[in-house]
Amino acid sequence: MSKKVSRRQFMSYTLMGVGGFMASGMLMPMVRFAIDPVLQKKDEGDYILTPQKFDELTEMPVRVDFTIKDRKDAWYKSDVSNTAWVYREGDTVIALSPVCKHLGCTVNWGGDENHSDQFFCPCHAGRYMKNGENVKGTPPLGPLDEFDVKVEDGFVYLGKTKPNTLV
Amino acid sequence: MNWTAQDMDTYLQQIEYIDTLIVPLLKVETTPGDMKRSASSSEFLMHLTMFIETQFKGRMMLMPPFAYTTSTDLTEMAATLSRDLSVAPFKHVFFLTTDSAWTSIKVDGEVIWLPSIPLENMDPQLRKTIIEDQLRQALPRFMEKWSEQ
Ligand code: FES
Repeated sequence: MSKKVSRRQFMSYTLMGVGGFMASGMLMPMVRFAIDPVLQKKDEGDYILTPQKFDELTEMPVRVDFTIKDRKDAWYKSDVSNTAWVYREGDTVIALSPVCKHLGCTVNWGGDENHSDQFFCPCHAGRYMKNGENVKGTPPLGPLDEFDVKVEDGFVYLGKTKPNTLV
Repeated sequence: MNWTAQDMDTYLQQIEYIDTLIVPLLKVETTPGDMKRSASSSEFLMHLTMFIETQFKGRMMLMPPFAYTTSTDLTEMAATLSRDLSVAPFKHVFFLTTDSAWTSIKVDGEVIWLPSIPLENMDPQLRKTIIEDQLRQALPRFMEKWSEQ
C-alpha cells in the first residue's frame, strides 16, 4: 500500500516499458509459471518461497498458493498468483501443477466424491492419479506437470514446471 | 480461454469442449463522486472474471468487458447483445456484473449479479480468498447449466 516506488519497482516499470511489451507476448504460455526474466536476477535463482512448512506436509496433497510479485504488464494484474498441489513422499516433496492437460482448467484433489484419491478436473471430468498420471478414458492425454522443488529453512520453495517425472 | 488470438485458435479447434461464454457487463460512472466506486467495481469484476477464466479455462471463453455509461438504455443493450451473441456457437451464455439493474432485464443467457467488494487495499492473499468466495457463490449457477445437457 506504500505509495513510494521502490528501486526495484522502478526498474521493472522502466524495463517493462521497453522490452516487456514484446516479451509478454512471447512468454504468454509460460507466464503463469515463470518469473519474468527481467526480474529474475534479484530473486534467488528461479525459486519462489511459499508459505508451506515442510513439517506440515503429509502424504495428502494440499493446495499451496504463492505469488509472483511485480508483474506490471497485464491489465489489472500486478502480482501473479499461482497454485500447486504439494505432498510428501518420505523425505521428498512433490509439487504438481494444477493445470489440466486437456484444455487448461484448474484441477482439484478429491474434487470428485467417487474418486476422492484422485485429482479431478471440473470442466470435462478429467482425472489424474496422485502422481499426476492421467486416468485413461478421461479427456486428458498426458500427466500433470511437476514443479521443481527445494526445501530451505523448513519452507517449501517452488521453481519452474517441467514434464512429469513420476509417471 | 481469453479473447486473444492464441486462445481463439485453441477454441476453434475445440469448439465442442468450450461451450460456455462469459460476458462481463461493466458500468462506468462519470460523476466525480461515483468514479472511485465505479473504478473499484470495475477492478473487482476484472479480477473475478480473470479468476473464473483460470479455473475453467478449458470450458469457458471470457469476452472483453462490455462497458456502458449511466444513461445507456440497458433494455436495448440487452436486445442487441442477445441478438449478436446468439450467432456465436456457445451452448451457455453467462453475463457477469456488479450492476444490479441487470437482474430485472431480459437477456438471452443467465445474469449473475455479484455485489462489488473493494479489493484495492487488500493484500494479495486476502484478495484471493475473497475472489474465491465470490466464485463459490456463482459456481452453482454454472454447474446447474452444465448438468442440464
Ligand atoms: S480441461 Fe480438464 S478435462 Fe477438459
